Amino acid sequence: MTKHYDQELDSGYTMTTVMAEAARCLLCHDAPCSKACPAHTDPAKFIRSVRFRNFKGAAETIRENNALGAICARVCPTEKYCQLACARCGIDTPIDIGGIQRFVTDFEQQAKMDILEKGPSNGLKVAIVGSGPSGLQAATTLLQKGYAVDIYEQQAKAGGYLTYGIPEYRLPNDIVDFEINRILNLGATIHYNTTIGQELTLAALKTSHDAVILAIGASQAKMLPMFENNAYTETAVDFLARVKTNQGHVTVPDNVLVIGGGDVAMDVATTLKLLNVPQVTDVVYETFSEFKASKKELEATQQMGVTIIDGYVPDSINDNTVTFKHRKINGQIQVQADKIILAVGQVADAAHLDLTLENNEVPFTGYQTTDPKVFVTGDIAQGDKTVVWAVQKGKEVAETIDAVLGGH
Amino acid sequence: MINKDLSIDFLGVHFENPFCLSSSPVGNCYDMCKKAYDEGWAGVVFKTIGPEHFVVDEVSPRFDELAKEATPFVGFKNMEQIAEHSLAENLADLRRLKADYPEKVLIASIMGTNEADWTELARVVTEAGADMIEMNLSCPQMTSHEMGSDVGTNPELCQKYCAAVKKGSDLPMMAKMTPNITDMGPVAKACLAGGADGIAAINTVKSIANIDLDRKVGLPIVNGKSSISGFSGKAVKPIALRFIQQLRTTAGLEQLPISGIGGIETWEDAAEFILLGSSTLQVTTSVMQYGYRIVEDMKNGLMHYMAEQNVEHLSDLVGLANQAIIPAEALDRDYKVYPNIDWDKCIGCGRCFISCYDGAHQALTWDEDTRRPTCNTEKCVGCQLCNLVCPVGAISLGEVVMKPGRTGDVTAVEVHSSRLS
Ligand SMILES: Cc1cc2nc3c(=O)[nH]c(=O)nc-3n(C[C@H](O)[C@H](O)[C@H](O)COP(=O)(O)OP(=O)(O)OC[C@H]3O[C@@H](n4cnc5c(N)ncnc54)[C@H](O)[C@@H]3O)c2cc1C
Ligand SMILES: Cc1cc2nc3c(=O)[nH]c(=O)nc-3n(C[C@H](O)[C@H](O)[C@H](O)COP(=O)(O)O)c2cc1C
Ligand code: SF4
Repeated sequence: MTKHYDQELDSGYTMTTVMAEAARCLLCHDAPCSKACPAHTDPAKFIRSVRFRNFKGAAETIRENNALGAICARVCPTEKYCQLACARCGIDTPIDIGGIQRFVTDFEQQAKMDILEKGPSNGLKVAIVGSGPSGLQAATTLLQKGYAVDIYEQQAKAGGYLTYGIPEYRLPNDIVDFEINRILNLGATIHYNTTIGQELTLAALKTSHDAVILAIGASQAKMLPMFENNAYTETAVDFLARVKTNQGHVTVPDNVLVIGGGDVAMDVATTLKLLNVPQVTDVVYETFSEFKASKKELEATQQMGVTIIDGYVPDSINDNTVTFKHRKINGQIQVQADKIILAVGQVADAAHLDLTLENNEVPFTGYQTTDPKVFVTGDIAQGDKTVVWAVQKGKEVAETIDAVLGGH
Repeated sequence: MINKDLSIDFLGVHFENPFCLSSSPVGNCYDMCKKAYDEGWAGVVFKTIGPEHFVVDEVSPRFDELAKEATPFVGFKNMEQIAEHSLAENLADLRRLKADYPEKVLIASIMGTNEADWTELARVVTEAGADMIEMNLSCPQMTSHEMGSDVGTNPELCQKYCAAVKKGSDLPMMAKMTPNITDMGPVAKACLAGGADGIAAINTVKSIANIDLDRKVGLPIVNGKSSISGFSGKAVKPIALRFIQQLRTTAGLEQLPISGIGGIETWEDAAEFILLGSSTLQVTTSVMQYGYRIVEDMKNGLMHYMAEQNVEHLSDLVGLANQAIIPAEALDRDYKVYPNIDWDKCIGCGRCFISCYDGAHQALTWDEDTRRPTCNTEKCVGCQLCNLVCPVGAISLGEVVMKPGRTGDVTAVEVHSSRLS
């Protein structure tokens, strides 16, 4: 069956198949999967609920621990966290925890469950800059604790990379919108098209709120100097945002060169294939043995028919022809393409936010900055740069603020 | 998280929820019961306490398990008798439990060999602080024929022993029934006549679960031999439910207070026992397999069920399904319902075709090219075997028709079912 960009690639479980998968779970004592989930979503508990046919209870466990449970179910690199730790690996293959989580959160949506509850107001107000996963989770935890929350987002839609980065076939926008609406319905106010540092200053937020959280992510694309002003070049995050915003209705030429070897590059290459681009070539700095992209993503990309060339760095560019040199051996290749997409990383832009960043993150652990009213979370806080960690950091920054402000 | 009141009153005792450990190794000592209370069980029926003169001497190994395909513990066979701890130790544990958990319900299960035993056991467990007594008239593997299911199938003995217990204690008392009998009614009535306040059902079903084919001995093998003994777990649920339904529909027992037991492991099982007339529920086998923690999902699931049903008090659900279970001769036999086959959902395995041919009425035809079944309504009797065997839910209840020569309004026929969708 041919797949399209706007169709979720993985088909979910049915009631029968999810029970079969849950029956594989060993129902471990002291379950390693639950210990390995960065956001404490407690897979062992929700799988047990599924096993004992308590689907609503399973949904409660997920939702109460993770305001973006349906999103994490789809995009979390579970092979690095819960599924890596799964005791079933000692027998054969780990439990498909992400798949079970997706079934449960889909069930939750169909059953129209309203699990999260706003806490009684404590009269305190927090401003959150950025509506990516970390800002959204922080907002949820604060609302549950009784804080009023204002979110400021420079884009026209909320979600950060959930909305503008991760492609539709892995994370449908209607899922993201549903999760965001749940949080807005809980009582968060969101101000769109508002860049803090431009339309509003950080100083103004500090005056109007009891605390400010900077959850700005690494939301700019990284450029390599030689590609600046090249007419054929577009950055990966710009390209992915454009395709997702237009639900795949964009025109792309027949021969595209992708540069980069992380998950973002894999997303770009797969997206191009799902847009029916015949020739997609991905040239990667790392050799296969050092690859950054998850194995799952790499394999999926290869299966799509993307040509992947490993171990080369771009050396020069002439119009639409890029010359690469091998990093270790003496050799070079030239690739000519109708379009070049640069997937070499993202950077944080903290201009006008009085924030010092080193390698796109703050140079201290924890969440409170030297300005006691200002906090950070998400990708710009130290630690892993994944959605599930953004969620956990969101919970932790909210706890930190609550401890500092003592709002109860 | 949902929070609803699951409490219920049974024989004048208040239970914070209906879930209790049934008398067995899962409630064998203070530490176990403490852990169970802490994890959310409302009550414990302590492991059956016998008279001092009866020496419990157990075999090893003592369990076996019935599996089907990859599913273990479909049913569970045990060779255990009553408490191995001394009477003094058991009473000390009861005392400590009541002192430490005054709000939880402590039920003493007892078993004697004669009237004097029963009276004395009732007296000492009452003294130790039990809230309720359960008479074990039903263990099918006792080494004495004065005890267990041999007593529980004899109404006169049951009545006499119930009276003996009432002589030794004023506590509310339930008599625990054996399913190794055709009709529980006469025994239950005899127990009530003897003074029992309610009934607990069921204890285990006499069984041989497996045979070792090389040694030609039943399992578990006890030094080369084995015995018939009690079967429990999911496989006995249908048997337990039928006894409970029958008790509740016996003339004079319509309001019989029942503590339901037998194969409960999910909130759905629990709800079924309640809908057929149980007020409290007791569990052993699934706790032995999975641990006390299963009570979390049973409680939470039952709360969600109450919310869906718009019910505020658990007692409002008790017995609601009794009235719709009627004698086979009273069922509507004027119509049949054909299967509705969804060819988009169908994956072409042909299981429905095989089952209909070999086990039903050869009403499905199989297209070898498209790998899809079609129903021949001339031959179809509407048994819905195909529906039950379909692994992907592609077959559902379809068109309802009146049988030839019968009259009636097909649109008025109610064929809904949550299993046969
Ligand atoms: C293409 C792509 C695919 C990915 N795939 C995965 C995946 O499969 N699994 C996974 O776990 N992670 C994935 N990630 C990483 C993940 O998306 C990030 O770790 C996560 O989004 C970080 O969350 P955040 O809340 O810190 O920031 P972001 O999601 O980056 O959100 C930050 C928000 O702040 C806003 N903002 C920034 N500055 C301002 C300002 N001054 N004023 C107002 N608003 C501002 C931005 O517009 C944005 O909406 C992927 C990333 C990309 C780019
Ligand atoms: C190992 C084992 C020991 C048991 N011991 C007792 C007992 O001492 N007294 C009693 O009344 N029932 C005893 N039972 C029966 C259980 O209490 C219960 O009635 C039966 O197992 C059915 O419930 P279940 O399917 O939840 O296990 C025992 C059951 C098992 C499996
Ligand atoms: S570690 Fe694996 S097998 Fe164990 S509880 Fe978690 S999912 Fe189940």
